[in-house]
Amino acid sequence: MLKDFHVEPQQGFYSGHFFAMASPCELLMETSDHKLAMQLTRIAWKEANRIESKFSRYRDDNIIHRINHANGEPIQVDQETTDLLDYAQVCYQLSEGLFDITSGVLREVWRFDGSDQLPSVDAVDGVRQRVGWDKLNWNRPHLQLQPDMEIDLGGIGKEYAVDRVVQLLRDKTDISVLVNFGGDLCVTTSRQDGQGWCVGIEKPLYHSSQLQASNENIPTVLELKSGALTTSGDARRYLLKEGIRYGHILDPRTGWPVRDMPSSVTVAAATCTEAGILSTLAMLKGAEAESFLKQQEVKSWVMR
Amino acid sequence: MQLKKLNLSQVLAVATSSLLAGTSQTVLAVDNNNDWQVDSSVLFYSETDRVSVVEPVVSARKKIGDDEYLKFKLVADALTGASPNGAIKTSSAQTFTTPSGSSTYTTAANTAPLDPSFHDTRGALSAEWEKPLNERLKGVFSANYSQEFDYSSLGLGANFSWDVNQRNTTLTAGVGYSLDQVKPVGGMPTGLTAMPTTTSVSKSKLGDTDDKTIASLLLGVTQVIGPKHLLQLNYTYSNEDGYLTDPYKILSVLDNSGNLRGTNPYLYEKRPTTRTRHALYLKDVKQFGADVLQFSYRYAWDDWGILSHTLDLRYRYELNAKNYLEPHLRYYLQDKADFYYYNLVDGSIPQFASADYRLGDLSTKTIGLKYGYVFAENHEFGIRTELIQQQAEGSAQFPDTDAVLVQLNYSFTF
Repeated sequence: MLKDFHVEPQQGFYSGHFFAMASPCELLMETSDHKLAMQLTRIAWKEANRIESKFSRYRDDNIIHRINHANGEPIQVDQETTDLLDYAQVCYQLSEGLFDITSGVLREVWRFDGSDQLPSVDAVDGVRQRVGWDKLNWNRPHLQLQPDMEIDLGGIGKEYAVDRVVQLLRDKTDISVLVNFGGDLCVTTSRQDGQGWCVGIEKPLYHSSQLQASNENIPTVLELKSGALTTSGDARRYLLKEGIRYGHILDPRTGWPVRDMPSSVTVAAATCTEAGILSTLAMLKGAEAESFLKQQEVKSWVMR
Repeated sequence: MQLKKLNLSQVLAVATSSLLAGTSQTVLAVDNNNDWQVDSSVLFYSETDRVSVVEPVVSARKKIGDDEYLKFKLVADALTGASPNGAIKTSSAQTFTTPSGSSTYTTAANTAPLDPSFHDTRGALSAEWEKPLNERLKGVFSANYSQEFDYSSLGLGANFSWDVNQRNTTLTAGVGYSLDQVKPVGGMPTGLTAMPTTTSVSKSKLGDTDDKTIASLLLGVTQVIGPKHLLQLNYTYSNEDGYLTDPYKILSVLDNSGNLRGTNPYLYEKRPTTRTRHALYLKDVKQFGADVLQFSYRYAWDDWGILSHTLDLRYRYELNAKNYLEPHLRYYLQDKADFYYYNLVDGSIPQFASADYRLGDLSTKTIGLKYGYVFAENHEFGIRTELIQQQAEGSAQFPDTDAVLVQLNYSFTF
């Protein structure tokens, strides 16, 4: 079911609002033209809903459902899905298995409810046998999974949607628009006065009493003039056992949560998709998040 | 496990731009494994009534570290057929000695003299080591050796590229040096001395072998203009020193009435012993969706007076994800060397002279088409056909030469 969208006049600009991909979505548009603000928000809303319905794994009428329920048969996919699978493959290869769109089945044994219920080693090992991009057969445009495997494009879907919307908006207008889908942001072009859009970064609450010194240099508000900004974090979902926090980000290679993971990583890049992969990979690198980001030569902020 | 620190964000940026452009082309270029990547090809080239060439090539590249590669290449050439010896055609039959001096061949009246003994085989081996020196600086070190029965060449090179301006600009500098040895059949004739017309006379020789060195320098800039647009500008300089003459080429000497002179009608050619060459090269690569347009222009000049322009245009047209076509057009125009003569005139023999058509006024037109079939990532078959027309300008002596080139290639990994 498509939910509706609405726009609101602000101080010198318009904002547009809707809910998609399990996130509040927001557009900030440097215009005082109500009609244009409606047009642009409609474009974003339609595209976000298109991508969500096409790639959500929670639906039973889309390509992801057909792939995940093919019982070992190859499924032919369209060009856009091909491009996303190719991209997922590149990310898998570049990260040497850290980023893996087949890792979703690990959730069968991991429930992040704040409790101390860890799964058994055997249960994790069992489900881990069904994880691994290298176990599936991607012979574009045909994708063939083992019967008990699943793919989930959720790890890149929202960022991809932001970038797609940015493209559509750039085709439509020259004004500056900030697209923000649940904290994944991208700006279409710089504002007329050369100023950026101000963006808040959420500091993790549970750590507030013991913020490390390094975190004190991290701004709570950033000014985004161009490009994209994404934040990955595990602030809300975790398990706690014997004083060890088990974050909800799992290492697909071991089936266990990443150790010494930052509480959040924010990355700036040219596109949301790039920034999103880098912030996700930085989280997955655990203790090496900072050095990994330093090697990538991207602007980033790590909170621990 | 260490993430590939040098290229991850770059590869990601390329992959992302192709994802958002709705094309997965660049994904094919992602180098993710440590397999040998092999390119093999065989080329057939045939000039009407003249030289034929068969050239198989095998090259293999292997990743040996983060952005570090080793590459080996093996080339073999087999040339057969007849090549113009430099003499002009006349109204009567002409007799020449072969380079060895042990036999003669005769050209019919009104026929361009071709040396039928022209044949050669060449083997060449090269190795290349590509090594990142730091995050922004890459070095490519190379060595090559080639051998023909009358020629050998040993070369070394080093090339450095440095990424600046947030990797939007790459500066390149390279040096190369090669040491060649010439050992012509029948020795090196003394320049501008008579070619014997019978086997009973032997030619005047400079010796049996001589050397040639080539030192070269390259400076270049590659600039990213947009996400799908690249511009490259190179300058190359080279300095050749040593025996640069073609020991098998001659010139006809005419008397004042325009006939072949009675005695010693043919002289061996003679070129200067140094040559300084310069070239400017501009290349523009632009991507349109999945298609790629490549244009290049080369302007070259040297102190022999040769000046040339080369225009080259290719368009890679994606029929679908597996098949592509690549049409190719090329135009080459050359102004002759200062010492190029169609023939010499008795009594005014210059210091240097050559009638080698390759040093004359020349134009070449090429039209070609390549078809490629992509089986899978790093696994591709291609066939290329080109028609080449070579015109020696302003000379009825050398009619147009037509040539056909066919190249098959197959690349795979293992």
